Amino acid sequence: MTKLEQPNAESFEPKIVGFLCNWCSYAGADKAGASQTPYPPNVSIIRVMCSGRVDPQFVLEAFHKGADGVIILACHPGDCHYKVGNYRAVQRHRILLRLLEQFGIEKERCNFDYVSAGEGEKFVRVITGMVSTIKALGPLTLALPVS
Amino acid sequence: MKIGLYFCTCGTNITATVDSEKVIAELTAQFPESYAATVEFICSAEGKSFLKDHLLDNRPDRVVIAACSPREYESTFMQILAEAGINPYFMQMVNIREQVAWVTPDPAEATQKATVAIRSAMARVCLQLPLEKKELEANGDVLVIGAGPAGLQSALFLAEAGRKVVLVEKSPAIGGMPVFFEELFPTMECGPCLLEPFEEEVLHGNYAHNIELLLLSEVTGVTGYYGNFTATIKQTPRFVGPTCIGCGMCVEVCPASGSNELNCGMNKKKAIAMPFLGALPNFPYIDQRSCLRAGGGDCQLCLDACPMPDTVLLDDKERIVERKVGAIILAIGSKLYDCRKVSGLGYGDIPGVMTSLEFERLASSNGPTAGEIKTPAGSAPGSVAIVHCVGSLDVKHQPHCSGICCEYAFKFNRILEHKLPETKVYHLYKELVVPGKDDSSMLDHARKNPSATFIRYRDLKEIEISAVSGGQKISYRCEDGKNDSFTVEMVVLCPAMVGSEDAAKLGDMMDVTCGKAGFFEELNGRLHASQSKVKGVYLAGTCQAPMDIGQATSRAMAAAGYVLSGLAAGKKLVIEPITAAVDEERCSGCRICSGVCPYKAISFMPETETSRINALLCHGCGTCVAACPAGAIQGNHFTNNQILAEIEAILQ
Repeated sequence: MTKLEQPNAESFEPKIVGFLCNWCSYAGADKAGASQTPYPPNVSIIRVMCSGRVDPQFVLEAFHKGADGVIILACHPGDCHYKVGNYRAVQRHRILLRLLEQFGIEKERCNFDYVSAGEGEKFVRVITGMVSTIKALGPLTLALPVS
Repeated sequence: MKIGLYFCTCGTNITATVDSEKVIAELTAQFPESYAATVEFICSAEGKSFLKDHLLDNRPDRVVIAACSPREYESTFMQILAEAGINPYFMQMVNIREQVAWVTPDPAEATQKATVAIRSAMARVCLQLPLEKKELEANGDVLVIGAGPAGLQSALFLAEAGRKVVLVEKSPAIGGMPVFFEELFPTMECGPCLLEPFEEEVLHGNYAHNIELLLLSEVTGVTGYYGNFTATIKQTPRFVGPTCIGCGMCVEVCPASGSNELNCGMNKKKAIAMPFLGALPNFPYIDQRSCLRAGGGDCQLCLDACPMPDTVLLDDKERIVERKVGAIILAIGSKLYDCRKVSGLGYGDIPGVMTSLEFERLASSNGPTAGEIKTPAGSAPGSVAIVHCVGSLDVKHQPHCSGICCEYAFKFNRILEHKLPETKVYHLYKELVVPGKDDSSMLDHARKNPSATFIRYRDLKEIEISAVSGGQKISYRCEDGKNDSFTVEMVVLCPAMVGSEDAAKLGDMMDVTCGKAGFFEELNGRLHASQSKVKGVYLAGTCQAPMDIGQATSRAMAAAGYVLSGLAAGKKLVIEPITAAVDEERCSGCRICSGVCPYKAISFMPETETSRINALLCHGCGTCVAACPAGAIQGNHFTNNQILAEIEAILQ
């Protein structure tokens, strides 16, 4: 990876893809909405039924297509609507981080967290934190040119 | 592809920050075959009727509704698509209210975020496939395992609704544990008075013809799935046929006897005997462990004494039967925690130390002493210690509180007060738990007994019971740390309730998991407490958690309710389309998918060496889709292509 010149963190608006499970985290995002708590608009949400559906290839594809960060949000341990899908998701995420580091993608760019249907406030906190982390890291530039 | 984009302004909730005209102009330019319509409140009656008419007039290939959260109205709009003759899975909702307008105060940012979100939905919806719900024939009959109060209640409830029930019971009689109890808490109601009419209802009531009762029977195998299970049942021979009139003449002449397990081994019973006095059905059985014929003899005194023809069946054989059912209710009960595991209490070594169940039998008029409470030496005890929380609330044993032990301990207090008014009663407890609107009266009454003393001990492991002349000496440490001791003539232990060995066996057979303390795990302890994690297998009574008779029979009704609503007569089972499916051409048979499936919905087909997903058992989580290294599994409505299209459109 080659680093571009570090842009002004103020002017850089990162593109972040968020994979949210339908039952907890997506509902948590809706809670943040219902309480009308503002947060940065940089995360575009893709709804999946379960965090276990998130194929590591989706994450790689997102980085390949120009995402500066990816966030996967799941039900809390023990709360998965499908019993154990979130455990699969967290296992895959751990392995994926090792791979991403090989590609020169900082592990902070691929975040995993738990947000329940009641945690609108946590959702806002996690998203805000992710956006400021990625802003600090700057845009992602991959070594190989994107086709 | 013609996409109909419906943009709900939600009054001004969305358009206060999102510039709908700008969004629509940009997207219709990107998707030139598409059209857009703005609606003020698409969820209102007018909005829905507008949507339906507009769909009928414009016949779009796909539909995108940009409005509020799909968690609220997705199914409503899918229904409208279906009414307009469009496959409901040709629609995608975009949440531009909760996830854009309400959280993005800057209009330019909100407009941009909404544009990206709708664009990705439009890209995705083009790839969405028409999906249909499938229907499957299902068997409405039910297998109920266990004929205690919970099993009987389920069976009766289902039979009354016209269902055929196969009721399998391991023991020779029905009624479960409470038929061994003389009195029941919290009302001190007579156990047999409550339960016998209920048992009669199952055996001879108006709906008994719907119940096939298989006694001395065990389920040894279960195959299939919800709607179509096949159970294999092993029936141990009873050697007495249903023509028995229950006269007991065979019992009188029988020369052999053996240990009576139904009385916890406290007395002996004849080789041919009624299970216990008042047992239903009221006919005897031959215990092979003590019968002289089983030992190679040629005794047939029972047959000779029987006044009925072809009723004592000395050649009776074990039978294996198969029954096809649509659902299974597990009501196999529980057992007491083994008190031998609590060292220091002397259970199993000191004869005067017994479990609560053994005390129930001593206090019962059909027990080994005909209801006379006696020490093993044969005298009425002048003092009885009742030890609560044996193996409960203790991380070294069982961390849970069984919730019923205190209540039956206070029941014992009342039985002793009534039968042996001079006898001193000591309650040694760690915690006292008497929940429920009626149950605190048990504690109140016990406290008012002038012969009762309450002692709070600090830790069960600090209790030491030893045999001394005249009884058992109990040494313990009080909650204030002081050591104390006293001697009593009888000790009754109240152990934790735990799952039985049969739970583990049956669980393995049906993939129903046993969790804490060996109890069956519920699908969800709050919302679906009577459902196991396997579709079509329901739970009732103490096999799922410690509970009293009232709770057990309520859970039994709930389990039966699931069957009645899920497997209604003439109704086919609906398979929801959002499931996963294996492309057998691409499947390498690695079986990674079956390892990650939380529902055991994936099986391996040895003939093709590929995996197959049972759509009825699949819940559509997509974990297997993400796990398949060959990309051979399609997650319907959440396909790789659909999700990749979303990613691409977001990052465009």
